[in-house]
Amino acid sequence: MAITPPPARRRKRRMDKVMPLVMMPVNWLEERSGLVGGLKYFLFRKVPSDINWFHTLGSATLTAFIVQAVTGVILAMYYKPHPDTAYESIRYITNEATLGWLVRGMHRWGASVFIILIFLHMARVFLFGAYKYPRELNWIVGVMLLPLAMLEGFTGYLLPWDQTAYWATVVGINLNGTGPVVGPFLAQFLRGGDEIGTDTLTRFYAMHMLLLPGAIMGLIGLHLYLVIRLGVSSPPWSKDAAGSEREERPSGDPGLVRPRARGRVAK
Amino acid sequence: MSRRLQEGRAQHQRYKEDVEKRGKSFYPYAMFHDTVMSLVVVAVIVALACIWYLTAEVNEDGSSGSGALGVLYEDKADPGTTSFIPRPDWYFYFLFYLLRIFKWPDSVILGTVGIPTIALILLLALPFIDLRRERRLVRRPVAVVAVILTALSMGVLTYKGAVAEEGSEATGLVPEWIERFSIPPGDASEGAEIFSVSGCLNCHQYAGEGVPNLGAPELTEEGNKNRGVQWQIDHLECPSCVTPGSPMPPYEDLGQDNLRKLAAFLEASKGEAAGGEAAG
Repeated sequence: MAITPPPARRRKRRMDKVMPLVMMPVNWLEERSGLVGGLKYFLFRKVPSDINWFHTLGSATLTAFIVQAVTGVILAMYYKPHPDTAYESIRYITNEATLGWLVRGMHRWGASVFIILIFLHMARVFLFGAYKYPRELNWIVGVMLLPLAMLEGFTGYLLPWDQTAYWATVVGINLNGTGPVVGPFLAQFLRGGDEIGTDTLTRFYAMHMLLLPGAIMGLIGLHLYLVIRLGVSSPPWSKDAAGSEREERPSGDPGLVRPRARGRVAK
Repeated sequence: MSRRLQEGRAQHQRYKEDVEKRGKSFYPYAMFHDTVMSLVVVAVIVALACIWYLTAEVNEDGSSGSGALGVLYEDKADPGTTSFIPRPDWYFYFLFYLLRIFKWPDSVILGTVGIPTIALILLLALPFIDLRRERRLVRRPVAVVAVILTALSMGVLTYKGAVAEEGSEATGLVPEWIERFSIPPGDASEGAEIFSVSGCLNCHQYAGEGVPNLGAPELTEEGNKNRGVQWQIDHLECPSCVTPGSPMPPYEDLGQDNLRKLAAFLEASKGEAAGGEAAG
Protein backbone atom coordinates (compact mmCIF):
# COMPACT_ATOMS: atom_id res chain seq x y z
CA MET A 1 0.00 0.00 0.00
CA ALA A 2 1.47 3.31 -1.13
CA ILE A 3 1.74 5.88 1.58
CA THR A 4 1.62 9.45 0.34
CA PRO A 5 3.94 11.62 2.43
CA PRO A 6 2.36 14.48 4.36
CA PRO A 7 2.32 17.79 2.43
CA ALA A 8 5.12 19.42 4.40
CA ARG A 9 7.50 16.60 3.64
CA ARG A 10 6.44 16.54 0.01
CA ARG A 11 7.16 20.25 -0.28
CA LYS A 12 10.55 19.75 1.26
CA ARG A 13 11.41 17.00 -1.17
CA ARG A 14 10.41 19.25 -4.09
CA MET A 15 12.53 22.08 -2.69
CA ASP A 16 15.50 19.74 -2.50
CA LYS A 17 15.14 19.18 -6.22
CA VAL A 18 14.58 22.83 -7.19
CA MET A 19 17.13 24.56 -5.00
CA PRO A 20 20.28 23.24 -6.71
CA LEU A 21 18.82 24.42 -10.03
CA VAL A 22 18.26 27.93 -8.65
CA MET A 23 21.56 28.07 -6.85
CA MET A 24 23.67 26.83 -9.74
CA PRO A 25 23.78 30.13 -11.69
CA VAL A 26 24.01 32.09 -8.44
CA ASN A 27 26.99 30.06 -7.29
CA TRP A 28 28.51 30.26 -10.77
CA LEU A 29 28.30 34.07 -10.60
CA GLU A 30 29.57 34.24 -7.03
CA GLU A 31 32.55 32.01 -7.73
CA ARG A 32 33.62 34.14 -10.67
CA SER A 33 32.81 37.64 -9.40
CA GLY A 34 31.98 37.77 -5.73
CA LEU A 35 28.99 39.92 -6.71
CA VAL A 36 26.48 37.81 -4.77
CA GLY A 37 28.51 38.16 -1.60
CA GLY A 38 28.75 41.89 -2.25
CA LEU A 39 25.00 42.19 -2.68
CA LYS A 40 24.44 40.16 0.50
CA TYR A 41 26.82 42.44 2.36
CA PHE A 42 25.01 45.50 1.01
CA LEU A 43 21.56 44.21 1.98
CA PHE A 44 22.35 42.70 5.36
CA ARG A 45 24.94 45.19 6.61
CA LYS A 46 24.01 46.64 9.97
CA VAL A 47 22.76 50.18 10.28
CA PRO A 48 22.17 52.04 13.57
CA SER A 49 18.87 51.00 15.11
CA ASP A 50 17.66 54.59 15.48
CA ILE A 51 18.01 55.88 11.94
CA ASN A 52 14.88 57.69 10.85
CA TRP A 53 13.05 59.28 7.94
CA PHE A 54 15.66 62.05 7.63
CA HIS A 55 18.09 59.37 6.52
CA THR A 56 15.96 58.62 3.45
CA LEU A 57 16.73 61.97 1.80
CA GLY A 58 19.86 60.54 0.18
CA SER A 59 18.08 57.64 -1.48
CA ALA A 60 15.26 60.02 -2.41
CA THR A 61 17.83 62.16 -4.25
CA LEU A 62 19.17 59.04 -5.96
CA THR A 63 15.63 58.14 -7.02
CA ALA A 64 15.14 61.59 -8.53
CA PHE A 65 18.42 61.15 -10.44
CA ILE A 66 17.31 57.74 -11.74
CA VAL A 67 14.02 59.30 -12.91
CA GLN A 68 16.07 61.94 -14.77
CA ALA A 69 18.30 59.28 -16.33
CA VAL A 70 15.42 57.07 -17.51
CA THR A 71 13.22 59.89 -18.84
CA GLY A 72 16.31 61.51 -20.35
CA VAL A 73 17.14 58.39 -22.37
CA ILE A 74 13.57 58.24 -23.68
CA LEU A 75 13.64 61.95 -24.60
CA ALA A 76 16.96 61.48 -26.40
CA MET A 77 15.25 58.95 -28.69
CA TYR A 78 12.94 61.68 -30.01
CA TYR A 79 14.90 64.90 -29.54
CA LYS A 80 16.78 66.37 -32.51
CA PRO A 81 19.56 68.76 -31.43
CA HIS A 82 19.63 71.27 -34.27
CA PRO A 83 18.19 74.81 -34.26
CA ASP A 84 15.93 73.89 -37.19
CA THR A 85 14.47 70.78 -35.57
CA ALA A 86 14.93 70.98 -31.78
CA TYR A 87 11.85 73.09 -31.10
CA GLU A 88 9.69 71.01 -33.45
CA SER A 89 10.85 67.77 -31.83
CA ILE A 90 9.99 69.17 -28.40
CA ARG A 91 6.50 70.07 -29.65
CA TYR A 92 6.16 66.61 -31.18
CA ILE A 93 7.19 64.96 -27.89
CA THR A 94 4.76 67.13 -25.91
CA ASN A 95 1.74 66.99 -28.20
CA GLU A 96 1.93 63.85 -30.30
CA ALA A 97 4.24 61.12 -29.02
CA THR A 98 2.42 58.61 -26.81
CA LEU A 99 2.79 59.80 -23.21
CA GLY A 100 5.56 62.07 -24.46
CA TRP A 101 4.13 64.86 -22.34
CA LEU A 102 4.48 62.69 -19.25
CA VAL A 103 8.09 61.79 -19.98
CA ARG A 104 9.02 65.40 -20.76
CA GLY A 105 7.03 66.71 -17.79
CA MET A 106 8.72 64.24 -15.44
CA HIS A 107 12.14 65.24 -16.79
CA ARG A 108 11.37 68.95 -16.52
CA TRP A 109 9.93 68.82 -13.01
CA GLY A 110 12.16 65.99 -11.87
CA ALA A 111 15.04 68.44 -12.30
CA SER A 112 13.49 70.79 -9.76
CA VAL A 113 12.77 67.94 -7.35
CA PHE A 114 16.35 66.68 -7.77
CA ILE A 115 17.81 70.10 -6.89
CA ILE A 116 15.49 70.56 -3.89
CA LEU A 117 16.33 67.10 -2.58
CA ILE A 118 20.07 67.74 -2.95
CA PHE A 119 19.72 70.86 -0.80
CA LEU A 120 17.55 69.05 1.79
CA HIS A 121 19.93 66.08 1.93
CA MET A 122 22.84 68.48 2.34
CA ALA A 123 21.06 70.36 5.14
CA ARG A 124 20.33 67.06 6.90
CA VAL A 125 23.97 65.94 6.74
CA PHE A 126 25.09 69.36 7.93
CA LEU A 127 22.66 69.52 10.86
CA PHE A 128 23.44 65.93 11.92
CA GLY A 129 27.17 66.74 11.82
CA ALA A 130 27.57 63.71 9.59
CA TYR A 131 30.42 65.34 7.64
CA LYS A 132 32.85 64.88 10.53
CA TYR A 133 35.62 62.29 10.81
CA PRO A 134 35.74 59.81 9.11
CA ARG A 135 33.14 61.03 6.58
CA GLU A 136 34.89 64.22 5.36
CA LEU A 137 35.63 62.85 1.90
CA ASN A 138 32.03 61.81 1.37
CA TRP A 139 30.88 65.34 2.21
CA ILE A 140 33.32 66.73 -0.37
CA VAL A 141 32.05 64.31 -3.03
CA GLY A 142 28.50 65.41 -2.20
CA VAL A 143 29.39 69.10 -2.46
CA MET A 144 30.93 68.43 -5.88
CA LEU A 145 27.66 66.86 -7.02
CA LEU A 146 25.74 70.09 -6.29
CA PRO A 147 27.30 72.33 -8.99
CA LEU A 148 27.24 69.40 -11.44
CA ALA A 149 23.49 69.05 -10.89
CA MET A 150 23.02 72.79 -11.34
CA LEU A 151 25.06 72.67 -14.57
CA GLU A 152 22.71 69.92 -15.75
CA GLY A 153 19.89 72.39 -15.14
CA PHE A 154 21.71 75.14 -17.04
CA THR A 155 22.62 73.00 -20.07
CA GLY A 156 19.21 71.33 -20.20
CA TYR A 157 17.41 74.67 -20.18
CA LEU A 158 18.63 75.54 -23.70
CA LEU A 159 17.54 72.30 -25.34
CA PRO A 160 13.83 73.11 -25.99
CA TRP A 161 15.15 75.98 -28.14
CA ASP A 162 12.25 78.27 -27.32
CA GLN A 163 12.51 81.96 -26.45
CA THR A 164 13.09 81.42 -22.70
CA ALA A 165 15.70 78.79 -23.43
CA TYR A 166 17.56 80.94 -25.93
CA TRP A 167 17.59 84.22 -24.05
CA ALA A 168 18.29 82.76 -20.62
CA THR A 169 21.29 81.00 -22.17
CA VAL A 170 22.45 84.24 -23.83
CA VAL A 171 22.47 85.88 -20.41
CA GLY A 172 23.98 82.84 -18.71
CA ILE A 173 26.86 82.63 -21.17
CA ASN A 174 27.45 86.40 -20.99
CA LEU A 175 27.69 86.11 -17.22
CA ASN A 176 30.30 83.39 -17.65
CA GLY A 177 32.13 85.85 -19.87
CA THR A 178 32.50 88.33 -17.02
CA GLY A 179 34.60 85.89 -15.00
CA PRO A 180 38.26 86.75 -14.46
CA VAL A 181 40.92 85.32 -16.81
CA VAL A 182 39.08 82.19 -17.94
CA GLY A 183 35.67 83.89 -18.25
CA PRO A 184 35.88 84.94 -21.93
CA PHE A 185 37.39 81.58 -22.95
CA LEU A 186 34.68 79.72 -21.08
CA ALA A 187 31.99 81.81 -22.77
CA GLN A 188 33.59 81.18 -26.17
CA PHE A 189 33.80 77.46 -25.45
CA LEU A 190 30.18 77.22 -24.31
CA ARG A 191 28.99 79.14 -27.34
CA GLY A 192 31.14 77.11 -29.70
CA GLY A 193 31.78 80.26 -31.72
CA ASP A 194 30.83 83.89 -31.71
CA GLU A 195 27.11 83.45 -31.44
CA ILE A 196 24.61 81.01 -30.03
CA GLY A 197 23.60 78.57 -32.75
CA THR A 198 24.00 75.01 -34.00
CA ASP A 199 27.32 74.45 -32.30
CA THR A 200 26.05 75.79 -28.98
CA LEU A 201 23.08 73.46 -29.04
CA THR A 202 25.06 70.30 -29.81
CA ARG A 203 27.68 71.31 -27.24
CA PHE A 204 25.05 71.78 -24.54
CA TYR A 205 23.39 68.52 -25.59
CA ALA A 206 26.65 66.57 -25.35
CA MET A 207 27.42 68.08 -21.95
CA HIS A 208 23.87 67.55 -20.73
CA MET A 209 23.60 63.87 -21.68
CA LEU A 210 27.17 62.59 -21.69
CA LEU A 211 29.74 64.62 -19.80
CA LEU A 212 27.73 65.79 -16.78
CA PRO A 213 25.64 62.63 -16.19
CA GLY A 214 28.83 60.56 -16.54
CA ALA A 215 30.56 62.67 -13.91
CA ILE A 216 27.48 62.61 -11.68
CA MET A 217 27.14 58.81 -11.93
CA GLY A 218 30.82 58.31 -11.13
CA LEU A 219 30.62 60.56 -8.08
CA ILE A 220 27.34 58.98 -6.91
CA GLY A 221 29.07 55.58 -7.14
CA LEU A 222 31.93 56.84 -4.97
CA HIS A 223 29.42 58.51 -2.62
CA LEU A 224 27.52 55.24 -2.08
CA TYR A 225 30.71 53.20 -1.75
CA LEU A 226 31.82 55.51 1.06
CA VAL A 227 28.41 55.31 2.75
CA ILE A 228 28.61 51.51 2.76
CA ARG A 229 32.26 51.44 3.80
CA LEU A 230 31.94 53.95 6.66
CA GLY A 231 28.42 53.08 7.75
CA VAL A 232 25.32 55.21 8.08
CA SER A 233 25.75 57.85 10.76
CA SER A 234 23.42 57.66 13.71
CA PRO A 235 21.37 60.73 14.65
CA PRO A 236 23.18 63.15 16.97
CA TRP A 237 20.60 62.49 19.68
CA SER A 238 21.24 58.75 19.59
CA LYS A 239 21.31 57.00 22.97
CA ASP A 240 23.62 54.30 21.62
CA ALA A 241 27.37 54.57 21.75
CA ALA A 242 27.17 55.02 18.01
CA GLY A 243 25.84 58.49 18.42
CA SER A 244 26.80 59.63 21.87
CA GLU A 245 29.47 62.27 21.46
CA ARG A 246 31.94 63.20 24.07
CA GLU A 247 33.33 66.63 24.53
CA GLU A 248 36.94 67.11 23.49
CA ARG A 249 38.37 66.49 26.91
CA PRO A 250 40.88 64.06 28.35
CA SER A 251 39.24 60.66 28.10
CA GLY A 252 40.41 59.73 31.58
CA ASP A 253 38.45 62.51 33.24
CA PRO A 254 35.11 61.00 34.25
CA GLY A 255 33.67 64.27 35.51
CA LEU A 256 33.67 65.69 32.06
CA VAL A 257 31.92 62.85 30.32
CA ARG A 258 28.33 63.88 30.00
CA PRO A 259 25.61 61.41 30.97
CA ARG A 260 24.13 60.04 27.77
CA ALA A 261 20.54 60.95 28.48
CA ARG A 262 21.45 64.62 28.65
CA GLY A 263 22.57 64.57 25.04
CA ARG A 264 19.16 63.58 23.83
CA VAL A 265 17.16 66.15 21.93
CA ALA A 266 13.41 65.84 21.89
CA LYS A 267 12.23 64.59 18.51
CA MET B 1 48.99 61.87 16.56
CA SER B 2 46.65 64.59 17.67
CA ARG B 3 44.24 63.89 20.48
CA ARG B 4 41.37 64.93 18.26
CA LEU B 5 42.19 62.27 15.70
CA GLN B 6 42.71 59.70 18.44
CA GLU B 7 39.34 60.51 19.87
CA GLY B 8 37.72 60.39 16.43
CA ARG B 9 39.14 56.95 15.77
CA ALA B 10 38.12 55.67 19.17
CA GLN B 11 34.64 56.98 18.66
CA HIS B 12 34.29 55.49 15.19
CA GLN B 13 35.47 52.19 16.68
CA ARG B 14 32.78 52.46 19.37
CA TYR B 15 30.27 53.28 16.64
CA LYS B 16 31.22 50.22 14.60
CA GLU B 17 31.05 47.89 17.59
CA ASP B 18 27.77 49.35 18.69
CA VAL B 19 26.16 49.07 15.25
CA GLU B 20 27.42 45.50 14.93
CA LYS B 21 25.92 44.62 18.31
CA ARG B 22 22.69 46.56 18.38
CA GLY B 23 22.10 47.78 14.84
CA LYS B 24 19.51 46.33 12.52
CA SER B 25 20.03 45.02 9.05
CA PHE B 26 19.62 47.41 6.15
CA TYR B 27 17.20 45.00 4.47
CA PRO B 28 14.33 45.09 5.23
CA TYR B 29 14.25 47.83 7.91
CA ALA B 30 16.04 50.82 6.38
CA MET B 31 15.19 49.68 2.88
CA PHE B 32 11.49 49.86 3.69
CA HIS B 33 11.78 53.55 4.59
CA ASP B 34 13.92 54.22 1.54
CA THR B 35 11.43 52.49 -0.75
CA VAL B 36 8.46 54.40 0.65
CA MET B 37 10.35 57.68 0.28
CA SER B 38 11.40 56.84 -3.29
CA LEU B 39 7.80 56.08 -4.24
CA VAL B 40 6.75 59.43 -2.76
CA VAL B 41 9.44 61.17 -4.85
CA VAL B 42 8.29 59.49 -8.08
CA ALA B 43 4.65 60.24 -7.22
CA VAL B 44 5.44 63.92 -6.66
CA ILE B 45 7.32 64.14 -9.97
CA VAL B 46 4.46 62.44 -11.86
CA ALA B 47 1.94 64.73 -10.13
CA LEU B 48 3.92 67.85 -11.10
CA ALA B 49 4.14 66.62 -14.71
CA CYS B 50 0.38 65.99 -14.79
CA ILE B 51 -0.53 69.36 -13.28
CA TRP B 52 1.86 71.08 -15.70
CA TYR B 53 0.47 69.37 -18.79
CA LEU B 54 -3.20 69.02 -17.96
CA THR B 55 -3.77 72.62 -16.84
CA ALA B 56 -2.00 74.12 -19.86
CA GLU B 57 -3.98 74.31 -23.07
CA VAL B 58 -2.52 73.91 -26.52
CA ASN B 59 -3.95 76.52 -28.88
CA GLU B 60 -5.11 76.01 -32.45
CA ASP B 61 -1.81 77.24 -33.87
CA GLY B 62 0.14 74.82 -31.67
CA SER B 63 1.33 77.48 -29.23
CA SER B 64 0.93 76.71 -25.57
CA GLY B 65 -1.25 78.52 -23.06
CA SER B 66 -0.10 78.96 -19.50
CA GLY B 67 -1.28 76.45 -16.92
CA ALA B 68 -0.84 76.25 -13.17
CA LEU B 69 2.87 75.55 -13.63
CA GLY B 70 3.52 77.74 -16.65
CA VAL B 71 3.58 77.09 -20.38
CA LEU B 72 4.60 73.82 -22.04
CA TYR B 73 6.94 75.78 -24.32
CA GLU B 74 7.37 79.36 -25.45
CA ASP B 75 7.55 80.44 -29.08
CA LYS B 76 10.49 79.12 -31.04
CA ALA B 77 13.81 80.81 -30.29
CA ASP B 78 14.26 83.86 -32.49
CA PRO B 79 17.56 85.74 -32.25
CA GLY B 80 16.00 88.58 -34.27
CA THR B 81 12.98 89.62 -32.22
CA THR B 82 14.59 90.27 -28.94
CA SER B 83 11.86 91.79 -26.83
CA PHE B 84 11.99 88.63 -24.78
CA ILE B 85 12.71 88.64 -21.06
CA PRO B 86 15.46 86.19 -20.20
CA ARG B 87 14.59 84.08 -17.20
CA PRO B 88 16.54 81.16 -15.82
CA ASP B 89 14.85 78.19 -14.18
CA TRP B 90 13.62 79.02 -10.69
CA TYR B 91 16.51 77.40 -8.82
CA PHE B 92 18.86 79.92 -10.41
CA TYR B 93 16.80 82.91 -9.24
CA PHE B 94 18.92 83.38 -6.12
CA LEU B 95 22.07 83.65 -8.24
CA PHE B 96 20.25 85.80 -10.78
CA TYR B 97 19.08 88.23 -8.15
CA LEU B 98 22.47 88.33 -6.48
CA LEU B 99 23.69 90.12 -9.63
CA ARG B 100 21.34 93.01 -9.06
CA ILE B 101 22.75 93.70 -5.63
CA PHE B 102 26.16 94.55 -7.05
CA LYS B 103 26.76 97.59 -9.21
CA TRP B 104 28.25 97.25 -12.63
CA PRO B 105 31.10 97.22 -13.46
CA ASP B 106 33.28 97.40 -10.35
CA SER B 107 31.78 94.83 -8.05
CA VAL B 108 29.52 92.73 -10.31
CA ILE B 109 32.23 90.11 -10.40
CA LEU B 110 31.44 89.52 -6.73
CA GLY B 111 27.95 88.42 -7.74
CA THR B 112 28.84 86.34 -10.80
CA VAL B 113 31.97 84.64 -9.57
CA GLY B 114 32.92 85.89 -6.10
CA ILE B 115 30.09 84.86 -3.81
CA PRO B 116 29.26 81.51 -5.49
CA THR B 117 32.95 80.54 -5.49
CA ILE B 118 33.41 81.55 -1.86
CA ALA B 119 30.28 79.61 -0.90
CA LEU B 120 31.51 76.52 -2.72
CA ILE B 121 34.98 76.71 -1.17
CA LEU B 122 33.45 77.13 2.30
CA LEU B 123 31.27 74.06 1.71
CA LEU B 124 34.20 71.98 0.48
CA ALA B 125 36.36 73.08 3.40
CA LEU B 126 33.64 72.59 6.02
CA PRO B 127 34.97 69.29 7.46
CA PHE B 128 38.35 70.97 7.97
CA ILE B 129 36.92 74.16 9.45
CA ASP B 130 34.65 72.42 11.96
CA LEU B 131 36.93 69.88 13.60
CA ARG B 132 34.99 69.41 16.84
CA ARG B 133 33.52 66.00 17.51
CA GLU B 134 30.33 67.56 18.85
CA ARG B 135 27.25 66.74 16.78
CA ARG B 136 24.33 67.78 18.98
CA LEU B 137 22.60 70.87 17.65
CA VAL B 138 22.13 72.52 21.04
CA ARG B 139 25.88 72.61 21.31
CA ARG B 140 26.52 73.87 17.78
CA PRO B 141 24.94 77.34 17.81
CA VAL B 142 27.15 78.64 14.99
CA ALA B 143 26.10 75.81 12.70
CA VAL B 144 22.42 76.32 13.48
CA VAL B 145 22.62 80.07 12.88
CA ALA B 146 24.55 79.45 9.63
CA VAL B 147 21.86 77.08 8.33
CA ILE B 148 19.04 79.46 9.25
CA LEU B 149 20.78 82.47 7.66
CA THR B 150 21.66 80.53 4.50
CA ALA B 151 18.14 79.16 4.08
CA LEU B 152 16.64 82.58 4.80
CA SER B 153 18.87 84.50 2.39
CA MET B 154 18.45 81.94 -0.38
CA GLY B 155 14.69 82.01 0.17
CA VAL B 156 14.56 85.80 0.06
CA LEU B 157 16.82 86.00 -3.01
CA THR B 158 14.75 83.35 -4.81
CA TYR B 159 11.54 85.23 -3.98
CA LYS B 160 13.00 88.57 -5.04
CA GLY B 161 14.28 86.99 -8.23
CA ALA B 162 10.83 85.55 -8.93
CA VAL B 163 8.97 88.85 -8.55
CA ALA B 164 11.70 91.11 -10.01
CA GLU B 165 10.42 93.32 -12.81
CA GLU B 166 12.43 93.18 -15.98
CA GLY B 167 12.50 96.04 -18.45
CA SER B 168 11.36 94.51 -21.66
CA GLU B 169 8.87 96.77 -23.34
CA ALA B 170 9.22 100.41 -22.50
CA THR B 171 7.19 102.01 -25.29
CA GLY B 172 5.41 104.20 -22.77
CA LEU B 173 8.67 105.94 -21.98
CA VAL B 174 9.51 106.96 -25.54
CA PRO B 175 7.75 110.39 -25.47
CA GLU B 176 9.47 111.18 -22.19
CA TRP B 177 12.88 110.27 -23.61
CA ILE B 178 12.27 112.37 -26.71
CA GLU B 179 11.40 115.39 -24.62
CA ARG B 180 13.92 114.94 -21.86
CA PHE B 181 16.91 114.30 -24.07
CA SER B 182 15.81 116.49 -26.99
CA ILE B 183 15.79 113.61 -29.46
CA PRO B 184 15.16 115.22 -32.87
CA PRO B 185 12.05 114.08 -34.78
CA GLY B 186 12.42 111.77 -37.75
CA ASP B 187 14.85 108.84 -37.78
CA ALA B 188 16.10 109.36 -34.22
CA SER B 189 12.63 109.49 -32.65
CA GLU B 190 11.49 106.46 -34.64
CA GLY B 191 14.68 104.79 -33.52
CA ALA B 192 13.65 105.39 -29.91
CA GLU B 193 10.49 103.40 -30.60
CA ILE B 194 12.49 100.51 -32.09
CA PHE B 195 14.94 100.69 -29.19
CA SER B 196 12.10 100.30 -26.70
CA VAL B 197 10.60 97.19 -28.33
CA SER B 198 13.73 95.34 -29.46
CA GLY B 199 14.74 94.07 -26.05
CA CYS B 200 17.73 96.41 -25.73
CA LEU B 201 16.67 97.07 -22.15
CA ASN B 202 16.98 93.39 -21.29
CA CYS B 203 20.70 93.97 -21.02
CA HIS B 204 21.30 97.72 -21.32
CA GLN B 205 20.00 100.62 -19.28
CA TYR B 206 18.55 103.85 -20.59
CA ALA B 207 17.58 106.75 -18.33
CA GLY B 208 17.36 104.46 -15.33
CA GLU B 209 15.19 101.86 -17.10
CA GLY B 210 16.34 98.39 -17.99
CA VAL B 211 18.40 95.68 -16.41
CA PRO B 212 21.63 96.63 -14.65
CA ASN B 213 24.53 94.33 -13.95
CA LEU B 214 24.42 92.11 -17.01
CA GLY B 215 27.57 93.71 -18.28
CA ALA B 216 26.05 95.85 -21.03
CA PRO B 217 26.90 99.57 -21.04
CA GLU B 218 24.38 102.23 -20.04
CA LEU B 219 23.29 104.02 -23.21
CA THR B 220 21.78 107.35 -22.09
CA GLU B 221 24.90 109.23 -23.14
CA GLU B 222 26.02 106.93 -25.94
CA GLY B 223 25.91 109.87 -28.40
CA ASN B 224 28.61 111.71 -26.48
CA LYS B 225 31.12 109.11 -27.61
CA ASN B 226 30.67 110.50 -31.13
CA ARG B 227 31.20 107.17 -32.84
CA GLY B 228 29.08 108.11 -35.80
CA VAL B 229 25.96 106.56 -37.28
CA GLN B 230 27.90 104.18 -39.53
CA TRP B 231 29.85 102.76 -36.57
CA GLN B 232 26.56 102.19 -34.71
CA ILE B 233 25.04 100.39 -37.72
CA ASP B 234 28.12 98.20 -38.16
CA HIS B 235 28.12 97.44 -34.46
CA LEU B 236 24.44 96.50 -34.40
CA GLU B 237 24.91 94.24 -37.40
CA CYS B 238 27.76 92.33 -35.81
CA PRO B 239 28.85 93.54 -32.36
CA SER B 240 31.72 91.07 -32.00
CA CYS B 241 33.19 92.13 -35.37
CA VAL B 242 33.45 95.76 -34.24
CA THR B 243 34.29 95.13 -30.60
CA PRO B 244 36.04 91.75 -30.41
CA GLY B 245 34.77 89.65 -27.55
CA SER B 246 31.49 91.51 -27.25
CA PRO B 247 28.79 89.14 -26.00
CA MET B 248 26.01 91.19 -27.63
CA PRO B 249 24.07 89.19 -30.21
CA PRO B 250 23.89 90.53 -33.80
CA TYR B 251 20.81 92.53 -34.76
CA GLU B 252 21.10 92.56 -38.55
CA ASP B 253 17.71 90.80 -38.72
CA LEU B 254 16.08 94.10 -37.80
CA GLY B 255 16.77 95.32 -41.35
CA GLN B 256 18.86 98.22 -42.68
CA ASP B 257 16.05 100.75 -42.30
CA ASN B 258 15.49 99.98 -38.63
CA LEU B 259 19.21 99.80 -37.93
CA ARG B 260 19.72 103.26 -39.42
CA LYS B 261 16.96 104.67 -37.18
CA LEU B 262 18.31 102.88 -34.14
CA ALA B 263 21.80 104.24 -34.85
CA ALA B 264 20.39 107.77 -35.26
CA PHE B 265 18.66 107.45 -31.89
CA LEU B 266 21.82 106.25 -30.17
CA GLU B 267 23.89 109.04 -31.71
CA ALA B 268 21.25 111.60 -30.62
CA SER B 269 21.35 110.29 -27.05
CA LYS B 270 23.62 112.79 -25.39
CA GLY B 271 22.14 112.77 -21.92
CA GLU B 272 20.46 115.62 -20.15
CA ALA B 273 23.37 118.07 -20.26
CA ALA B 274 22.93 118.48 -23.99
CA GLY B 275 19.17 118.57 -23.58
CA GLY B 276 19.15 122.22 -22.56
CA GLU B 277 15.84 123.30 -21.15
CA ALA B 278 14.61 119.71 -20.66
CA ALA B 279 17.11 119.31 -17.84
CA GLY B 280 14.63 120.57 -15.25
